Amino acid sequence: MFDETLALTNRALKKWVRNPFTIIPGLATSAFYLALFGNSFNPTNLVPASAGAAAKSAILSTTFGGAATYITYLTAGVICLIIVFNMSFGGIDIVLDRQLGYFNTLLTSPIPRASIYFSGVFQNLAKAMLLAVLTFVIALIIPDGLKLTSSFGILELLGAFAAFTLLGLGLSCIFTSLALLARSIDSLIAVVNFINLPLIFMSSSLFPSSSFPSWLQSVSNVNPISKADEAARILIVSGNPAANGMMGTFVGDMLYLVGFVVVMALLGYWAAARAMKPE
Amino acid sequence: MPKTKIIEAENLTKVYKGKVKAVDNISFSVEEGEIFGFLGPNGAGKTTTIKMLNTIASITSGKATVAGQDVTKHPAKVRDVIGVVPQELTADDELNGMENILLSARLHHVRGDEAKKRASELLKLVDLDGAAGRRVKTYSGGMRRRLQLAIGLIHTPKILFLDEPTLGLDIQTRTKMWEYMSGLNKDEGLTIFITTHYLEEADGLCNRVAIIDHGVIKVSGSPSQLKERVGGDVLTIELTTGPDITDFLRSIPDVHDVVKTDQSYRIKLPKTEKALPAIVDGVTKKGLEIKEIAFTKPTLDEVFLEVTGKSMRDEDAGESESWVQNIMTERMK
Repeated sequence: MFDETLALTNRALKKWVRNPFTIIPGLATSAFYLALFGNSFNPTNLVPASAGAAAKSAILSTTFGGAATYITYLTAGVICLIIVFNMSFGGIDIVLDRQLGYFNTLLTSPIPRASIYFSGVFQNLAKAMLLAVLTFVIALIIPDGLKLTSSFGILELLGAFAAFTLLGLGLSCIFTSLALLARSIDSLIAVVNFINLPLIFMSSSLFPSSSFPSWLQSVSNVNPISKADEAARILIVSGNPAANGMMGTFVGDMLYLVGFVVVMALLGYWAAARAMKPE
Repeated sequence: MPKTKIIEAENLTKVYKGKVKAVDNISFSVEEGEIFGFLGPNGAGKTTTIKMLNTIASITSGKATVAGQDVTKHPAKVRDVIGVVPQELTADDELNGMENILLSARLHHVRGDEAKKRASELLKLVDLDGAAGRRVKTYSGGMRRRLQLAIGLIHTPKILFLDEPTLGLDIQTRTKMWEYMSGLNKDEGLTIFITTHYLEEADGLCNRVAIIDHGVIKVSGSPSQLKERVGGDVLTIELTTGPDITDFLRSIPDVHDVVKTDQSYRIKLPKTEKALPAIVDGVTKKGLEIKEIAFTKPTLDEVFLEVTGKSMRDEDAGESESWVQNIMTERMK
C-alpha cells in the first residue's frame, strides 16, 4: 500500500509544482493576512500615539502573551488559517479526478482503496506544510513582522511545525473524505465553507480567546485550531516553554492534537471507504 | 475444441437509486481471443455494463465473471487481469506521456526496467515514442486516445476493456486506432471488449457484436450474421402524399416486407434491381408522386433499425453542455 500511496501523492505534487498558478494564490493569502490584516487590525493601533510606546507594549504583554509585535502573535494563527484553507479546498482536485474520470481508472487498478484515501491526505498535507513554511518566512521578512526571542531555537521551530503538522493531518483526513464523498465542486465548497468559517472564527487564530464571550471561549478551547495555535504560539512568542512554565500547556495541546488525528483518521477512512464502494 | 469463455454475464441488471434501470437482465459471453462489441446509442447501458464488469459499479441482480472470477466476490482478482481504457480522457495534463504510463505501471505493480521497457514498446506501438517527453496538455485528442490505449496495456492484461475508444476522433485517427486494436488481437491474442456507437467500428473491428438499446440486448452475432438478418437490400421510397400503399407494395413479387413511417415506405427485398421497375411502375400508375427514392445494402444501422424500430444515426445528438464536457472537448483538440 505504501508504494501506491507514494506514487499517487507524487503524481499530485508534480501536477501542483508544475502549475505555479495554484501555488501563488496560496502565498498571496499568507502575505495579505500578515502584511494587511496584521497592520490594519493591529490592536496597538487603537492606543493613541500620545499614550506612548509603553502603553502599546502593555497591550501586547497583557492580551497577546507578551509578543513583540502583533504579527508575532498573529503568525501561528495565520499559519493555522493557511492550513485550514488548503485542506478545505485541496479536495477540489479529488472531486475533479472523480468528475474527469481519473478516479475510475484508479478504482479499476489493483491498488488498495486505502492508498487512494491516504494519497489524498498526504498530498494536501504536503501542499499545506510547504505553504506553512513559506508563510513563516514571509512573517520573518516583512517590516515589523515576526520577532523571535533569543530562546527560540531549532527544537522550538520543530515543535511549532509539529503542532501545525498534526492539525494539518487531522484536517486533511476529514476534508479528504468529504472530497471523496462529494459529487460536485459546488457541493464540496458549500460543505467546506459551512465547516471552516465557524472553525476559524471560533478559534484563537486572529485574536486571543480570552477576549471572547464565555460561550465562545468554551468552544474555542476545544477547537483543534486553537490547540495547534496555542502550542505553536507558546514556542514562537516565548521560546523555550520549560523556561516559561508553559510546558504543561504545550504537552497537553500536543496530546490533544494527536488524539484529534487518530479520531479524524478513523472517521475519515470509514467515510472514504463508503465513498469508494462500487456505485 | 470449444473456446474458453473469458467473460460471462447472466441476467445482469443494474438499477440506479432504485428507479433508473440502466441495464435490464442481459446475458452474453465473450470468448478468449475475440473482439466483442457492444453497439448502441448514448444511454443504452454500454458504459454501465463495462463498469459492472470492471468492478466499479455494483450489480443489482444477476452474475458476471471475468477471467473465471466473480466480479462481485473477487473484484481484486478481476482488477489484476483487466486493462481499462475509459471513455474520458484521463491522462494527466501536467505529466508527460512517459510519466503517465510509468505511473500506471507502478499502480499495476510493473516495476523498474521491465516497466520502462514495456512503456517504451507501447509508446512506439501507438506512434507516440517521439512525444513521450512532452506534457500531455500539448497532445491532440488523437494522441491522448493513443496514450490511453498504451496505458491500458502496460501490465499486459488478459482482457482489454475499451469504452468508446475512438469517440470524437477524425476518421484517419480512428482507422489508426482500429489497426492498433486488431493488431493486438491478432498478434498477442488479446481479448477485447469494446463499446461503441460507431457502426463502422462495430462492423469492421468486432468478431461479434451485441446490439443494446434501453439496457436490453436486442440481438447478437457476427456483423455478417446480423446483416443477413435484414434479408437483402432495403429500398426506401418517400411519397409526397397519398393513401397507404403498404398492401400494394407487399403484393409485388420479391418484396419481403414493408414498414411505413409517415409517407416513407421501407421495403425489404433480396435484390433491388429486380423489383425496382415493378415498384416504381405500380406507384406511378396509382398516380402517386415519388419525392425521394434510395436503396442501401444492409448495414448494422439497418439491423439496429430492424430490432429497435429507429436508426442509430438519429440517436447521437444531445451531448452534455456541462463544464466537464467543456474540459473534455478542450482535451480533444
